Amino acid sequence: MPPSSSHRPRKKRKAEISSSSSNGTVSYDANTKREKPAFPLVAFFWPARGTSISQWILLPCILMVVGLFRWCTGIWPYSGFRKPPMHGDFEAQRHWMELTTNLPLTHWYFHNLEWWGLDYPPLTAYHSWLLGKVGALIRPEWFALYLSRGMDDLDLKVFMRATVIISEYLVYIPAVIICVRHFAKLYHINSWESSIALTAILMQPATILIDHGHFQYNTVMLGFVVATISSMLAGRALWSCVFFVGALGFKQMALFYAPAVAAYLAGVCLFPRVNPLRFLGIATVTIASFGILYLPLLLGTTYDTYRNVPLSSDVVKPALLSAFPFEIKEKTWYYPYLLQLAQSTHRIFPFARGLFEDKVANVWCAVHSSGVHKLHQYSSTLLSRAALALTLASIAPPCVILFLRPKRRLTPLAFAATAWGFFLCSYQVHEKNILLPLLPMTLLLASDGGMNPAIRAWVGYANLLGCWTMFPLLARDELRIPYVVLTLLWSYLVGLPPCSFSLYFGQVSGDSLHWSTKLLHLVTYLAMLVWHGVELFMRPPSDKPDLWVVANVCIGAAGFGICYLWCLWRLLEDSGLLVDLGLVKKSSTDAEKKKQ
Amino acid sequence: MRGGSDSIESAPVARVNTSEWTLDYPPFFAYFEWLLSQAAQYADASMLQVKNLGYDSWQTIYFQRATVVASELVLLYALYLFVKSSPSSSKKQSHAAAVSILLSPGLLIIDHIHFQYNGFLYGILIHSIVFARSDPGKLASGIVFAALLCLKHIYLYLAPAYFVYLLRAYCIGPRSIFDIRFFNCIKLGLGLGAVFALAFGPFAYLEQISQLLSRLFPFSRGLCHAYWAPNVWAMYSFTDRVLILVAPYLKLPLNTSAVNSVTRGLVGDTSFAVLPNITPRTTFILTLAAQIPALLKLFLAPTWHTFVSTLTLCAYGSFLFGWHVHEKAILLVIIPFSLLALKDRRYLGAFRPLAVAGHVSLFPLLFTAMEFPVKVVYTVFWLVAVLLVFDRVAPASEKPRVFLLDRFSLLYIAVAIPLIAYCSLVHQMVFGAKYEFLPLMFISSYSAIGVFGSWVGFLVVFFTE
Repeated sequence: MPPSSSHRPRKKRKAEISSSSSNGTVSYDANTKREKPAFPLVAFFWPARGTSISQWILLPCILMVVGLFRWCTGIWPYSGFRKPPMHGDFEAQRHWMELTTNLPLTHWYFHNLEWWGLDYPPLTAYHSWLLGKVGALIRPEWFALYLSRGMDDLDLKVFMRATVIISEYLVYIPAVIICVRHFAKLYHINSWESSIALTAILMQPATILIDHGHFQYNTVMLGFVVATISSMLAGRALWSCVFFVGALGFKQMALFYAPAVAAYLAGVCLFPRVNPLRFLGIATVTIASFGILYLPLLLGTTYDTYRNVPLSSDVVKPALLSAFPFEIKEKTWYYPYLLQLAQSTHRIFPFARGLFEDKVANVWCAVHSSGVHKLHQYSSTLLSRAALALTLASIAPPCVILFLRPKRRLTPLAFAATAWGFFLCSYQVHEKNILLPLLPMTLLLASDGGMNPAIRAWVGYANLLGCWTMFPLLARDELRIPYVVLTLLWSYLVGLPPCSFSLYFGQVSGDSLHWSTKLLHLVTYLAMLVWHGVELFMRPPSDKPDLWVVANVCIGAAGFGICYLWCLWRLLEDSGLLVDLGLVKKSSTDAEKKKQ
Repeated sequence: MRGGSDSIESAPVARVNTSEWTLDYPPFFAYFEWLLSQAAQYADASMLQVKNLGYDSWQTIYFQRATVVASELVLLYALYLFVKSSPSSSKKQSHAAAVSILLSPGLLIIDHIHFQYNGFLYGILIHSIVFARSDPGKLASGIVFAALLCLKHIYLYLAPAYFVYLLRAYCIGPRSIFDIRFFNCIKLGLGLGAVFALAFGPFAYLEQISQLLSRLFPFSRGLCHAYWAPNVWAMYSFTDRVLILVAPYLKLPLNTSAVNSVTRGLVGDTSFAVLPNITPRTTFILTLAAQIPALLKLFLAPTWHTFVSTLTLCAYGSFLFGWHVHEKAILLVIIPFSLLALKDRRYLGAFRPLAVAGHVSLFPLLFTAMEFPVKVVYTVFWLVAVLLVFDRVAPASEKPRVFLLDRFSLLYIAVAIPLIAYCSLVHQMVFGAKYEFLPLMFISSYSAIGVFGSWVGFLVVFFTE
């Protein structure tokens, strides 16, 4: 390692550390008349403040540390570890690698749907294929057709964990780094403060626990979403289309954001003036991206038709095919393509499943399981219509605001509010989907004043609450200790309860929280702590074995509802619509902005 | 700091030493284990409702890991005392050194992954070193060190420095060596006697002393440990193996039975094919010869800094030339040296290769694929962060630096990267399971050069001061 004196940063950033920091990382101690770190994470970066430590050293160090925490989480068991008969998400992902590498492409979406049939969009299938090929080079029996089911070889675990980390380091982490840089450029935030925000975002416990503990590849999809946001921040609408199609193509859950993306893209075409050329560009690029996404699937179909690879005789034709207004003959040349497209769509969108899965902290589950109103008395069509209506009602306000005021800086808030709406009200939601609203909300840490008490408290609140609602899931996977360590670590680093109450009781320089916010947060934190105590030491009554989980769901849903309202309110405030409509006097909002 | 221990907590891999009695440790450690087993029974009793076997073994691991983390609080407190006791002009440096020890990848690898209680033991050592700083604390320092010896006898390597320092600075007055302070001598003698009586008394009573000693000092084992510790004998063995290949051309006599034994592996009795064999007596004489000059200097100038330097040099001497040295013993050098490394930039120059070599030499202790990224990434992170910070806070020295040593250390550190890549990845890809000893041999020879080089550098700094 070269001595630092001989090392010069390649270029000096324009905004070096000013004495008065903009982003809420530094607080001023009135007694000693000195600046001090506002929360512990800043203290870790204190030696690098305003000095010659370049990004070329700081960034690798950050990446090493966050990587270590990810890998150490991976040492713990994954979902379904030695839990026959069905195992869990780990087996699902491994099975997809097995089937994509061993079977002709036309069979992917049809193969043995009872045993973790492929139900993710094509990009996941290609990703699995690639990883399966690489894994088979290392040890072929990991992905041997039929023989490898439910395998729990320790080396296989290492390989799979490594693929998650590598995928994340190739997609999510570069995307977050670039996004944070765009924020820094947009708001003139110095690089030291963006590094702190970057670390806080990357240490977000929920994502680490689900991807590296429970085992999934969410970060690939989330990475594409971050890339979408950062393209929007940089004003590159066309790139945002490409990335968003990537996100959708990896995991259909990215649809949570789709209304916001559509609203923003439609907005930039219409405001401030109508721009048909831009609209044309966006449409072309989106269609082309979808075309590229499905191209391998279609080419594979051509190849298999050419080779005359038949589907197995017991396949069920997707209902979607018969939904066409005209009849499609099996002999036509385009029939195999339509069949593949229809089957993949059918697999990706499970219309036949229930309103919610397991116990998830959204409106439906809370209403149903808390006993306020039992929902199984209604037919599923009615329920799905109700879900649709409520979802539309909840996502309409943020989308309308973003459509009318398509400003770059509003995108994270609008994304968060839309995702909260979906999470709370839509159909077929999983507890893991909490990652989707949490992501854009956590990105706010890198935005203007993002680490000021006002935003930090809310971002932390949403994240800790989100992790807490996933506790029952994590406890099933034997991930209690990583849960405790990672959430406490993050709350310590970012200066949140239960590790620090300085946001609520201490002398906060700048704007402090409103007393109602403080009360609300503290009551929720208290409820979470009490819940953990109760869950640890008391058995639920024997006639209500799920009582603790139900309590968790209800508190969680209430808290998430408040987070949704907060995002919506901030969005409304920041968009300036209130001023334009004359609802609020301009001077007062300006004063508020100055305070932050 | 807390982040470090959290990362440690979330890394519960590997084997746990589940046997209650580790018999090749001295009596106090057995007492310590007994205490832990009491706590374990208590912990287990409350967990007895869970009759699931797999779950139960996890509980054991949790418990054992937790005891390591808890016992490390001793180290934390010792480092706190160290920072507190340092003069205000060097507070910043002491703080940096303390953090580097607390986050040491050596402790992470040996204690929290491999499983030992070194953090606790080094905590006691640092307590003793800190006590030695003040005049009234010297008695306590001696007694604490005696207790440490009864916990783990590896610290006997450091005993000569303690002996000379306490003799010169505590038992003899500062003016002349004939100014003997009898009262101090009696206090020290009584204190040490009490500690040893407490430790060995029960065994003497049961007449098991000879058995105890044979357990503690295994001279029947070979010169080198299973993996070669990076010392002079590793370089010696490496030279021997190279000479085996060259010998036919140079017409050197070859001991054929030794050729096979060396090739067979690295375990047990090492005999050399070309070079003369080494006896325990030789290693003993060499070790003493390496220690005596420093001890003499300490006797002449018994300051605390010289004392810590001499401790480091004693550890160097016994590590480099000792019989059957374990690679874990490198911490014995690194930790006292860390306390000194920030004295000025010349010390830091000698410390750098040691920090790299010492930690790289611990890598073979962990060999599973899951542990590999942890050890490598954590060590690299620690090296980057610590060396960078040390570089900034180390004050400039009054004397000129030795140019050659600086270049040497830079080159040396640069070589580490391809070496680790080869040993951990390339070798397996090229040779598969064949020539397994080759990466181990490269790592220990490489580390040996680093340790030896830093020793030479430190000797230069120490004796020119």
